[in-house]
Amino acid sequence: MDYFEPKTVSEALSLLDQHGEQAEVIAGGTDVMVDIKYKDEPGCLVNIKRIPDLNAIRESNGGVHIGPLATIHELEESDIVRERLPLLWQAAHQFASLQIRNTATIGGNICRASPSGETLAPLLVLEAEAEVTFSDGARTEPFGAFFKGPGQTSLGSRGLLTGISVPFPAAGNHAVYLKHAVRGPMDIAMVGVAVMATANADKSALDDVRVGLGAVAPTPIRAPKTEALVSGKALDAALLKEAGACSASESSPITDQRSSGEYRGWIVDALTRRGLAQCWQALTGKEVA
Amino acid sequence: MSLEITLTVNGKTHTAALEPSTALVDFLRDTLGYKGVKLCCNTGECGACTIIMDGKPVNSCVVLGADAAGADLVTVEGIADGDALHPVQQAFIDTGAVQCGYCTPGFIVSLKALLDRTKNPTAEEVEEAISGNICRCTGYTKIYEAVDLAAKQMS
Amino acid sequence: MAKAEHKVLGTNMPRMGGVERVVGKGIYGIDLNLPDALCGGVLRSAHAHAKIVSIDTSAAKAIPGVHAVVTAADAPDVRYGRSYIDRYILAKDKVRYTGDPVAAVAAENQALVKEALGKIKVTYEPLPVVVDTEEAIKESAPTLHEDMPLPKNLPEGFQVKNVCGYTGVNIGDAEAAMADADVVVDEVYETRMIHPQYLEPRVAAARPEEDGRITVWTNAQAPFPVRTEVASLTGQPLNSVRVLSTDIGGGFGGKGSGVTSSAGLEPICALLAMTAKRPVMIVMDKAEETISTTIRSGAKIWIKSGVKKDGTLVARQGKVLYDAGGYSGFGNQAGGRCTQMVGGWYRLPNIHMDGLTVYTNKQVCGPVRGPGGPQATFAMESHMDSIAAELGMDPIEFRLKNVPAKGDGIVGVPKLRDSSLPETLNTAKEKIGWGKVKLGKNQGIGFATGAWIEGSGPGGGAVVKVNEDGSATVHIGKVDFGTAARFGIPMIVAEELGIPTGDVTVLNVDTDASPWDAGTVGSRSMLVSGNAVKLAAEDAREQILRMAAATLEASPEDLEIVDKQIQVKGAPSRSVSMASVCTAAHNEIGDVIGRGYFDSKASQVHEREQGSSQPFTTHAALVEVDTDTGNVTVLKYVCVHDVGFVVHPRAVEGQIEGAAAMSLGQALCEQVVHDSEGRTLNPTFVDYLMPTINMLPPIETVLVSGYPGAGPYGTKGAGEIGSVPPMACIANAIYNATGVRVRRLPLSPENVLRALREAGK
Repeated sequence: MDYFEPKTVSEALSLLDQHGEQAEVIAGGTDVMVDIKYKDEPGCLVNIKRIPDLNAIRESNGGVHIGPLATIHELEESDIVRERLPLLWQAAHQFASLQIRNTATIGGNICRASPSGETLAPLLVLEAEAEVTFSDGARTEPFGAFFKGPGQTSLGSRGLLTGISVPFPAAGNHAVYLKHAVRGPMDIAMVGVAVMATANADKSALDDVRVGLGAVAPTPIRAPKTEALVSGKALDAALLKEAGACSASESSPITDQRSSGEYRGWIVDALTRRGLAQCWQALTGKEVA
Repeated sequence: MSLEITLTVNGKTHTAALEPSTALVDFLRDTLGYKGVKLCCNTGECGACTIIMDGKPVNSCVVLGADAAGADLVTVEGIADGDALHPVQQAFIDTGAVQCGYCTPGFIVSLKALLDRTKNPTAEEVEEAISGNICRCTGYTKIYEAVDLAAKQMS
Repeated sequence: MAKAEHKVLGTNMPRMGGVERVVGKGIYGIDLNLPDALCGGVLRSAHAHAKIVSIDTSAAKAIPGVHAVVTAADAPDVRYGRSYIDRYILAKDKVRYTGDPVAAVAAENQALVKEALGKIKVTYEPLPVVVDTEEAIKESAPTLHEDMPLPKNLPEGFQVKNVCGYTGVNIGDAEAAMADADVVVDEVYETRMIHPQYLEPRVAAARPEEDGRITVWTNAQAPFPVRTEVASLTGQPLNSVRVLSTDIGGGFGGKGSGVTSSAGLEPICALLAMTAKRPVMIVMDKAEETISTTIRSGAKIWIKSGVKKDGTLVARQGKVLYDAGGYSGFGNQAGGRCTQMVGGWYRLPNIHMDGLTVYTNKQVCGPVRGPGGPQATFAMESHMDSIAAELGMDPIEFRLKNVPAKGDGIVGVPKLRDSSLPETLNTAKEKIGWGKVKLGKNQGIGFATGAWIEGSGPGGGAVVKVNEDGSATVHIGKVDFGTAARFGIPMIVAEELGIPTGDVTVLNVDTDASPWDAGTVGSRSMLVSGNAVKLAAEDAREQILRMAAATLEASPEDLEIVDKQIQVKGAPSRSVSMASVCTAAHNEIGDVIGRGYFDSKASQVHEREQGSSQPFTTHAALVEVDTDTGNVTVLKYVCVHDVGFVVHPRAVEGQIEGAAAMSLGQALCEQVVHDSEGRTLNPTFVDYLMPTINMLPPIETVLVSGYPGAGPYGTKGAGEIGSVPPMACIANAIYNATGVRVRRLPLSPENVLRALREAGK
């Protein structure tokens, strides 16, 4: 197996151009190392860990710029993430063990494009954008367009994720990330639900409701019908019930060793309700009537 | 192809060759002889291979060996001060938290890293520090007691 | 019986070997460093059921650096097994589960092993697969073993196939008594397969010696059975095989029954070493373990009980289908125990049970922690709560109404010498706060009792050598993985010889030197080695006192040993050091060598005549159920146990808490998941979910006393019984919280929510 440690993004990109499908990019390694052990070794390994400045977390253009090599624990430790992007912070905090959080990178979690990837539904809800770089140039694209399927992204075999831009959510928003698992952070989520909303001026209705779903479709998804159903309305028990069912209908979960598709649908329903109710309560100070 | 890397383990500098696909746990055990780093799940799920890498606990089974080039590592072998055990090590013995002992090195390293961060860890901090370490023998009860005892002795 | 004058027993001495373990000295099997050793690996079947048409190893053998490639054709035509001798070390003609060993390779390094395994061409003819026991016994099911007959003791009238064990329980007239009962409760329960998942992988190493012998290193729990099996399966005389035990990173019965548990790893390794004429070491991968080594089987249990209105149990009928897997393994033994335990340990005059152990195309049953007990108890103790609910009785009161008393018999025990069951029930009730603690929404309390009958089994010996400095070296045939060997055993020697525990060394097993033993299995370390070591230490002490008597001009009976000094009782100034006596022994008896043996036969006769004291237990749990998601959170867990006299309290508590945690894992999330083709869907720890510290509360253990057992000083076994009640205990707590009975494990969020929805909650 060939091995490279490019020192710059352009060096990395030319290696990917050269080796194409044979190349596997490795950053933290928490997924790639398991593949090396249990699947066939890749033809070559391109270790991007030593490219400088790709792990920065800083305020930029009305949001936060996150370098793809930032570890999950660095996100947790970052003041700006904790204070301004609590949704992402909650996902990072429930992301596996501390040992893994010290190693795994957000870029790795994104590029793995597992539907259950812990940070993905939150990034969709935060309407973050990927900075995607190829040897012939860079572009940004919303994560909604970035994920193509399980393990598939718009990077293909020749692109690199070089940055993540997360706009600051609207002032006064409330957001929750709910992960469904038996052992909490330690498991891969059976379902992950991210909910974010604001309240209108007199706190009588929810505005700009966003719902993101993980592990229940080929990619992480938003639940636009549910968002439209709830936005602009006061949340009562009937609407909450309707929203849960709507959200479940927007998911298309599969059955695997972790749970059945049917059960995942029930959990999407339950956690959407729970997330909306928590937002309602935090934003209005009222219980759902 | 083979790489050569230089790293520090428990204060000692090593230079050695490894295959690029080698996991750090295998390099530490098989090449450098740090057999206290325990091999188990190979998937980053059980914590038996936990080491401290540049100040942070990590699972060495899912770290690329090559990524340890230039790194400062602490393994379970580097935690006692000569013959004087670290309070966590002593507490594990005193409370009966060492049954088969195979998970013990990983727990000791995770807890040493915790107690380096804070002398008076909260219950949540303890839980966070060792949720990634599986013990199949104790049911964790004696491990809870060991952590309490060690923290008391250190404060 | 415990004596007030015990100096060492009953204290929490640091375990022997503790320091090595906390500083990370490489002491386990996996840490072995054999100079010049080749790496070994095993090719495992990718099919759950298939004919082997041909195996072509030529391409693998041609790889430079590959020193041995072996298949069934290279091994003697000898099979192994316990009740059914049905298995080759490398599959011949047929594979019967995914993971069945087919061929093995020894090469210069692991990468070459992987390459060579990939180049072995096996042509299979796939056969229909059966993974479910109910399907497997039907006429239409594929036959797993064409040449294995139905059990000889199978009663007439059973139209079944693929059955490799039958256990019947017939007490009184269950049918008539059932017809007379006021209330009949009839239920079906189901448990799933779990893997013991000891953290240290299975390891075997073998080295051909210059003198023609072969040395085998193993991290098995039973080194002597490994010796017997390696000899027979590789065609060596027994005295040509030497087995050395390493320290062991967990076992739980999964490393228990000789080569059966390891799917033949040691003889395969020996065969490779003999072929390559080089040392070979095989380290299994944990994912490989999950699909291939022995497991705790799943069971389907039909249980029906008849009771009088006042709560008196009068009849029980039932059936057990116990999953052996692809080979009989430990299935008949575990399935038999399961069947008996569904009969229960309450006063019940009329019982009829039929237990069938059934071949399926899955991993093979092993003697995993309390084999058969946790499965039986999930059904039996859930069922007891169902009966109580049907009668409108308090579950504790219902059980107390039916507990056995001194002189009663229970299934498997003709006569009880005493009964601690009521005390454990009452203590558990009090500790969990039943009827007192205010329960929150969706919170509930559950109880389950348990028993683990100390089965008849072989004895075992001990040798205590006292060195010339007064220290002692102990040979036993049992190994240490956090069990009595290096907790309680050194304390017994220290107590009996009057020396510090730190002066006692318990050696690993060397079959050339250690006394024979069946292995560290069956909660028998204290019973067998504890009794043997006590007798051996007493024997050594007598030898020492006899020699000292001459020097001190006193009779041996008037002497005692205190702090390594032999002194005249009441006149401590008349003393001589142990060191001087043991040094002088070189000119008198050569060496102080005490010998002891646990006489299993005599013990059984004694227990039959005097009655037996059983290690009863009651567990209690407080749980909260999230009725939206089905998540169950255990808020408090109490284990009340009678383990007789306690030599090392923390060691015993640790055994109980660990055993309870393992079954709590099985209760809440653990299972090996198969698809209909018999493939394991969750081989790695990513999806094989064992309890982590964040999902368990600290477990509270209470030990009741006053019921001495058959072990030294009145101890009872404690290694397995903690795993017996938890699944039923949690199910009962869920029932108490929600009114919904979940009869199928695991009590995972999905299964719990499904049950809640089916009940309209």
